[in-house]
Amino acid sequence: MPVKDLRSTTTTEATPDGALLVAYANGDLSAAQELTRRLAPRVLAQATKMLADRTEAEDVTQEALMRLWKIAPDWRQGEAEVSTWLYRVVANMCTDRLRRRARGVALDAIAEPEDGSPSVADQMQDNARRKALSDALAQLPERQAQAVSLRHLEGLSNPDIAEVMQIGVEAVESLTARGKRALAALLAGRKNELGYRDD
Amino acid sequence: MDDAALDALLADVAGTTAAPGDDLMARIMADAETAMVRPAPVATAGEAARDAGLFAGLWAALGGWAGTSGLAAAAVAGVWLGFAPPESLSGVSEFIWGQSESVSLFASEDVLGLEG
Repeated sequence: MPVKDLRSTTTTEATPDGALLVAYANGDLSAAQELTRRLAPRVLAQATKMLADRTEAEDVTQEALMRLWKIAPDWRQGEAEVSTWLYRVVANMCTDRLRRRARGVALDAIAEPEDGSPSVADQMQDNARRKALSDALAQLPERQAQAVSLRHLEGLSNPDIAEVMQIGVEAVESLTARGKRALAALLAGRKNELGYRDD
Repeated sequence: MDDAALDALLADVAGTTAAPGDDLMARIMADAETAMVRPAPVATAGEAARDAGLFAGLWAALGGWAGTSGLAAAAVAGVWLGFAPPESLSGVSEFIWGQSESVSLFASEDVLGLEG
């Protein structure tokens, strides 16, 4: 079902996310639609990269935005960025799901690339890489997994990650470094299998 | 896995794109509509009276002006009956309590010499 165009003149491209959230809290549904248009793709991408599962990523996206709608009446403009808040919520929700997944998945069971035609094989290779990384992230301590994903999958700067995770920059650097070392160890021996050849 | 391969893996996954479909967008908007806080409805006269507080509730329970007027009249009558019971009640009180005896709370003698 296509979403109705509820955009009004009060919600423009230049309106900050926080102002839109306040407008929504005051009864402007078109503000929620503009926020959804802006934020849902990024939230879905973040969740997809961490979880390597489209259905789970959609669930996280819907739930994260539901939390945003619920917090709207208490939102204080200028105290926090909506995007920062969402990075934090999504990272937490994803590591929660990864932790539950890790209880039932041994690293030996991480998806293997499968045979197929070249295009299908490429797709499967991509899927296998995403799944391998996601399952390896699931084996990391949560804070390390969050720091690594925010730095290397979302491309945030260390000060931005520090704000998202509500810790210091040095702690971010430490978590990222330890997380990468742990990932390398977890994925040891899978370089060729995942299609990364020695040059 | 060496650093170069891990960096390549992270870069590949970082390039993942995921466009939300119409169905997901519709679900999110339905949530937004459901979660929207509606303005509180204006209270009706009856609801306003009900919400006026504990005293109003007690006042209503006693029957308002009519009920409390009767209650006040009964209290005054009770006090008067205690202070000056009519003759017709003396036989009843003697039947219930036995022989009655009056005791003066004041000294029988003019201790203060007020009577000259």
